[in-house]
Amino acid sequence: MNPSEVKERLDAARTIPPAAEDASGRAPDPRGARQAGLHGDLWTAIALFSLTAVLILASRWISPSFGGLAQAKAILVLSSFIAVTAFGQQMVILTGGLDLSIASVMTMGGVLTFGWIGASGPALIWGIPLVLVLTAAIGALNGIGVVLLRVPPFIMTLAMGIIVYGAALGFTGGTPRGQPSPALSALFTGHVLGVPPVILLIAVFAALGTLLQLGTAFGRRLYAVGTNPAAAYIAGLPVRRLTLLAYAISGGSSGLAGILMVGYAGGATLTMGQGYQLPSIAAAVVGGTSILGGSGLYLGAVGGALLLTTFSTIISALGIAEGWRTILYGAVILLALLLLRDELYAWIGRAVTRPILPPDASARRNA
Amino acid sequence: MNWKRIRSCLLGAAAAAGLLGAAASMAPAQAKTYKIYLSLSYSGNAWQSEAANIVKALAATPPYDKMVDLKEVISGTDVQAQISAYESMIAAGADGIISFPVSPTGLNRTIHRGCAKGVLFFMYDATVTEPCAYNVSYITAGFGENTAQALVNELGGKGKIFLSRGVPGNSVDKRHTEGAMYIFKKYPGIHIVDEYYGMWSDQTTQEETAKALAAHPDVDGIWAQAGEDGAIKALLATGRQKLIPVTGENSNGFRLALANPEYQKRGLQGVSSGSPPATAGYAFKLMMEMLVDHRKLPTHNIQYPLPWVPASAVKLCPGDRFENGCNTFPEGKVPDSFVTEVFEPTLVPEISLQSALEGKPTPGATIQKLPATVDAAPDTPGINCQHCKPPKDLYRLTKVQPTVQP
Repeated sequence: MNPSEVKERLDAARTIPPAAEDASGRAPDPRGARQAGLHGDLWTAIALFSLTAVLILASRWISPSFGGLAQAKAILVLSSFIAVTAFGQQMVILTGGLDLSIASVMTMGGVLTFGWIGASGPALIWGIPLVLVLTAAIGALNGIGVVLLRVPPFIMTLAMGIIVYGAALGFTGGTPRGQPSPALSALFTGHVLGVPPVILLIAVFAALGTLLQLGTAFGRRLYAVGTNPAAAYIAGLPVRRLTLLAYAISGGSSGLAGILMVGYAGGATLTMGQGYQLPSIAAAVVGGTSILGGSGLYLGAVGGALLLTTFSTIISALGIAEGWRTILYGAVILLALLLLRDELYAWIGRAVTRPILPPDASARRNA
Repeated sequence: MNWKRIRSCLLGAAAAAGLLGAAASMAPAQAKTYKIYLSLSYSGNAWQSEAANIVKALAATPPYDKMVDLKEVISGTDVQAQISAYESMIAAGADGIISFPVSPTGLNRTIHRGCAKGVLFFMYDATVTEPCAYNVSYITAGFGENTAQALVNELGGKGKIFLSRGVPGNSVDKRHTEGAMYIFKKYPGIHIVDEYYGMWSDQTTQEETAKALAAHPDVDGIWAQAGEDGAIKALLATGRQKLIPVTGENSNGFRLALANPEYQKRGLQGVSSGSPPATAGYAFKLMMEMLVDHRKLPTHNIQYPLPWVPASAVKLCPGDRFENGCNTFPEGKVPDSFVTEVFEPTLVPEISLQSALEGKPTPGATIQKLPATVDAAPDTPGINCQHCKPPKDLYRLTKVQPTVQP
């Protein structure tokens, strides 16, 4: 790095008010924050999975058929779309952004899959990568707009969503045409180890996603970018490239959700992504992702997706009027956000791991 | 009120009108082109685009291709947006507006103003209560009560059922569900264990049905509005051996499932009925006959016949038309979500599969005259009239008779 570049980076850092960091309540040392945050994030995920399991068991008194494996399977299958979209959404939120083009990109992915792959088996081999690459490219365009053109993420992705929806409408002329893919449908109707294969797929996806975040340089750098972009920039991280990649991943994961939806519904419609925009954000946030960026773990977002789907399944079995159902669902999300705050997880974490905590953590407790 | 008498009255009036129309059409062909606007609420599902494509195809079929200047406007599901779309069309000097209205009442004032300026308003499928507009729809033809009775018959008068409804608060959903409840309430053995909104979308219906099935795996039957193909998919996805009777609308996937011998053996029964996209074509042709031939219609509320295809009547079409009584396309020819009722041999014989999918005219087809009579729809408050009384026999069964007594 030449001296003028260092000076430029330092100047960029000064434009960030120091109070911003204090307000988020994070420790000033990024590595320390990451370590402490990781414990919290893991506990978030564990708490959400446990809560989901308890809810499923407790729902038996709502319907005697609830509380069994059939219900758990149905919830796992239905939550897979939210879980996949939440991955990209979380990656973008980690950088401090937000992706509002999820619904349209998912629709685009579904429409292309339905049109191109069809009933053909060999087409899966080139079709799925092609759809993923194209949807990732749409995401990368979002990233370019945010990083290079400095359009606020909210506006950039909203506009991109509208453009992509228009493109899908134009591409299909209103009616998506194609054929359902037996191989994709088998993900939902087949059985491997006694469950639909899609459940195993999501489990692998969740593991890989979490690994990408924790086990790779890319993942850890992304947290650094989200925690303090200026500091990350000074530290020599390729902030722009990292942010752009996060948006590309979001596009690709939305595309994957579209592919899965074609398998589930056996077809594509221009509204197929509509129901997943807000749940993708809600799952990430309920799953412990800070909307300010820099903290959150994919495992938590998967837990969030499971919890939200469980709630909606139970609410739909209550047999109450539609208006009340929607109010209840909204209230439950709000309640989950209020209750499942970092403080709670930190408390659970401390209560469970007290004996093995290093001394500096107990100092944090008193702070 | 005597249904038959009304019908025969209308028949006479319409026949006279038809003669007048025929006389008028013998006048030398005029060079006038008609400014017609097609106002859609939203595009994006198979039904909406098929209906719009049928109108576009007819407008491009000779001799209308030389007479019609058709412009399409999609304004979304917002009433305000459709109001401003209508306003611009009226201001642009429209001769006629053919439209799928988003609200039965919200557009009335604008329509009223347009009528005063001589604009013809034809609504297809969905309706408005403004008396100067023409409604062409199957809604009043008894989808709800007839399919409900068919389901009750299949279930032998008792069992647990789901109601898979449409869009909450929508007048069409309300009319269908009221008709169905009129029947279900007669049978104390019928228990509605879950009621959910599938938003007339296959995918939403599939997800909602999957949730309902998790809570009530012992359900005995499903009464569904559009989106029924999703209900079938959700049933099949549970991996259960025993299937149950399902009534629904006209998706090709649903009809194929009804006709599937393996599914039938496992217990799938039902009837395919409901909203036909061909209504749009019928409405367009009626409007054109009023404009070109000065046809007079005896009523503003015209009923489109209710499609009715029980499992036993599903017949695959070898070609691109409904011919020789066939009513379903083989798998792979059209998407499962394709709404099959795009053809009607007497009302819109000009239409082919190509027209419905791409909005292109059928090669060699010319516009055929409509029958001289129309069916009048019964007054239904909130659907096609504001302050009116429905006939006492509004929920009269027309397609099926009870085979079990309550």
